[in-house]
Amino acid sequence: MECTKCGSKHVIIQRKESGQALCKKCFIESVDKKVRHTIKKEKFLKKGDKVLVALSGGKDSVVTLEILNSYRERHIIDLCAVTIDEGIAVYRQDGVEIAKAHAKRLGIPHKVVTFKESFGMDLDEIMAYDKHRGSCTYCGVFRRWIINRSARDFGATKIATGHNLDDESEAILMNYLEGNTENMAKIGPKTESKSDMFRVKVKPLREIPEKEVGLYALAKGLDVHLAGCPYAHESFRIQVGNIIKDLSTEHPTIRFSLLKGFDKIRLVLREELAHEYEYERCEICGEPASNRLCRACTFLEELEHNNEDL
Amino acid sequence: MDYTVRIKDKVEEKTSDKEELKVQDVLEELELFSGTIVPKINGEIVIEDSLIRDGDEVEFIQIIYGG
Repeated sequence: MECTKCGSKHVIIQRKESGQALCKKCFIESVDKKVRHTIKKEKFLKKGDKVLVALSGGKDSVVTLEILNSYRERHIIDLCAVTIDEGIAVYRQDGVEIAKAHAKRLGIPHKVVTFKESFGMDLDEIMAYDKHRGSCTYCGVFRRWIINRSARDFGATKIATGHNLDDESEAILMNYLEGNTENMAKIGPKTESKSDMFRVKVKPLREIPEKEVGLYALAKGLDVHLAGCPYAHESFRIQVGNIIKDLSTEHPTIRFSLLKGFDKIRLVLREELAHEYEYERCEICGEPASNRLCRACTFLEELEHNNEDL
Repeated sequence: MDYTVRIKDKVEEKTSDKEELKVQDVLEELELFSGTIVPKINGEIVIEDSLIRDGDEVEFIQIIYGG
């Protein structure tokens, strides 16, 4: 088999959805081009932006950092990065070290923030409680809290996350299956808020399939943390992901069509269903909150209350 | 034909009687899903249709977890 673009015999991918076969060089160029196209189409970046990358050390965030760094090298944007240590024994530390190494290699300001220092307990401790909401619920809320605060600490204007096509298509189907119309109206390429304490969140890899993100990292020789989170099996997201994965075998374009279709209706959904919250400050931590407490402090109070007899 | 399969630190010597052995054949034998794995032969990234030759080291790198 030959590369569809240059004729090289060293093909590293055959895209089932298009039949295209690509060598290493043409594949890297094709991903770079597609991400640049998404960034331009969705108006993710403007000159002078300072972008905080949520850098776990996994393939998605490392590739996001790598591609955005090409904008930094051309003096279009500035970059900084935060790595969150949730406190998951045996799993997290390798990713933290890889993240530190990438930030150092590229000369990007970087800090590591732990759940323990931010919330007084780490994820392993939360999961040791009898009553809890499941790991992914806490992890998502607590990570967003840290990322948002870090963005302000760094003086960042935008936050970039490594969400890929698989993540996006799973989120769409998951929210639909749950009947979560409020989330359906919120999700999309860009997350903006009325509160000036939140930063705009962008997803440069949202049109790149997860496998291609991993392949890109390997093809470019980027060191990435390739381990699975020990708590991941608990999530509804994984179940939904498996449904899409099974369908993708016979219908390789299904993730693309799910995203494209959603992109066509999301503005209408937003207009019809989105709630514009008035944000106050959380009474405990001072972060934006639509109620007396923010979600993170609500969870912390609930954990304490539900497990106080233990 | 003799070849080696490496997954992380686990290395296994294998033998095949097939005249033509593809990476996909080994993935199926090991019940691995190609959508979550990047295959390499002798350190070079290859595709599932690539042929394995006598003495090759086939490496499977799992890039997607969960499920």
